Amino acid sequence: MNCGEGIDTRLVEELFINLDPIQAGGRLTVDAMKAVLAYGDGYSVCDNCEKPFRLDCIKKPPLAKFHEDLAEFVNMDVARLVPGARRGFQAVADTVVNKGDPVLLTAFSHYTEFLSVEQTGGIPHEVPPDEKQIITADAVAARIEDVTRLEGKPPVLLFVEEVDYQYGNLHPVQEIARVAHQYDVPVLCNGAYTVGIMPVDGKKAGADFLVGSGHKSMAAPAPSGMLATTSEYADTLFRTTKAKGDITGRTFGVKEVEMMGCTLMGVTSVGMMASFPHVKERVKQYDQHLMRCNKIVDTLCSIDGTRVMSEYPRKHPLTRMNTTDSFDKVAKTHKKKGFFLISALRERGITGIIAGSTKVWKFNPYGLTDGQAQYVGDMFVEIAKEAGLEVADT
Amino acid sequence: MSRRAAEAVFQGLFLLCEIRGMLRETAPLHSLSTEQKVKTTKTLEKLEKQISILKEELVS
Repeated sequence: MNCGEGIDTRLVEELFINLDPIQAGGRLTVDAMKAVLAYGDGYSVCDNCEKPFRLDCIKKPPLAKFHEDLAEFVNMDVARLVPGARRGFQAVADTVVNKGDPVLLTAFSHYTEFLSVEQTGGIPHEVPPDEKQIITADAVAARIEDVTRLEGKPPVLLFVEEVDYQYGNLHPVQEIARVAHQYDVPVLCNGAYTVGIMPVDGKKAGADFLVGSGHKSMAAPAPSGMLATTSEYADTLFRTTKAKGDITGRTFGVKEVEMMGCTLMGVTSVGMMASFPHVKERVKQYDQHLMRCNKIVDTLCSIDGTRVMSEYPRKHPLTRMNTTDSFDKVAKTHKKKGFFLISALRERGITGIIAGSTKVWKFNPYGLTDGQAQYVGDMFVEIAKEAGLEVADT
Repeated sequence: MSRRAAEAVFQGLFLLCEIRGMLRETAPLHSLSTEQKVKTTKTLEKLEKQISILKEELVS
């Protein structure tokens, strides 16, 4: 069934339980689906755009209120919508980093954080994780000292992930920020996997800048995201244009330079806004989501030779597993080789794990119901038993 | 202009979104509980009403 010439209708979420690590938190709520239908046209939120002609000032639909609510939701002073977390990184880097400035990132920083530094001409340096794959405050302090010695000046910005994309581990941002601030290094907290999934308090964490992802964690269409900051940095980060045409004499009002004026002008902003009440509620139920995740992990670990590589018990549902001594052993002699696992899962209505992976793979069961979580565990066990693997009682 | 028809289109689409949500919530087996069946039956009845409005407004 096509939804346009050569475009298959996507039925993944309707037909399967989707465990894709980056897709779980971005699945639309029913209200967002409705908003997408009503606001699909290009400049659909601009019908009632009045002075001062900026997205965050539009009252109908209530985008102005949404911006205020977003800032309050993450306990920061000012928030803006951005076309994806990466555009938040870019705006901050462009504001804070100058050519030749050292910048601190971590071993888990997203590539777009590196690119945002590269665009400014900054010099990236990484903080390594400890043996548990956690970025510690001590490691950050050590790297600030190293970089200062090496570059002759301290880093001008630290990027730190609240939860990383590789292990889904929760890093001690509050301790890290406290240390960074002792060296006068401002902190960008990357909440792409946390804002909209679990409770996030930007000020408590010590973030000077907080970035979230709409399509990754706020049940919103792509590309969407959030950039928030404190009153200390708001005027600088969200500075308004001073440009003037030398022939026409035109000026451009209160358009914000880093935002390139307005950001999400239709389906993305309204989709994000429609999901927001549900997102606020689901964050309060985070413990239940975690409990389901831990139950699946426990079940997986009952399969002989299977271990969890992420911190355990899980503090975030994005989880990295190692099945080198279980499913990968089966793959070595199976006619479908490494594809046997995803094939067996798909036959049972489960998808989202990288096809061909039987050694190390990630999954994210965020948003599943109790019944779906139980089903996922049961099906892994069924596949393991069919393949002749030992399974302990849980 | 038929505002009634336009609204019926969106009401119908929104009701279908509710059913889409139900498909997602019950994937992959789509074995609905009694409560979910009652809810879906009501949604389908409302959808039929919107289709009737569209027939009245546009083709009768």
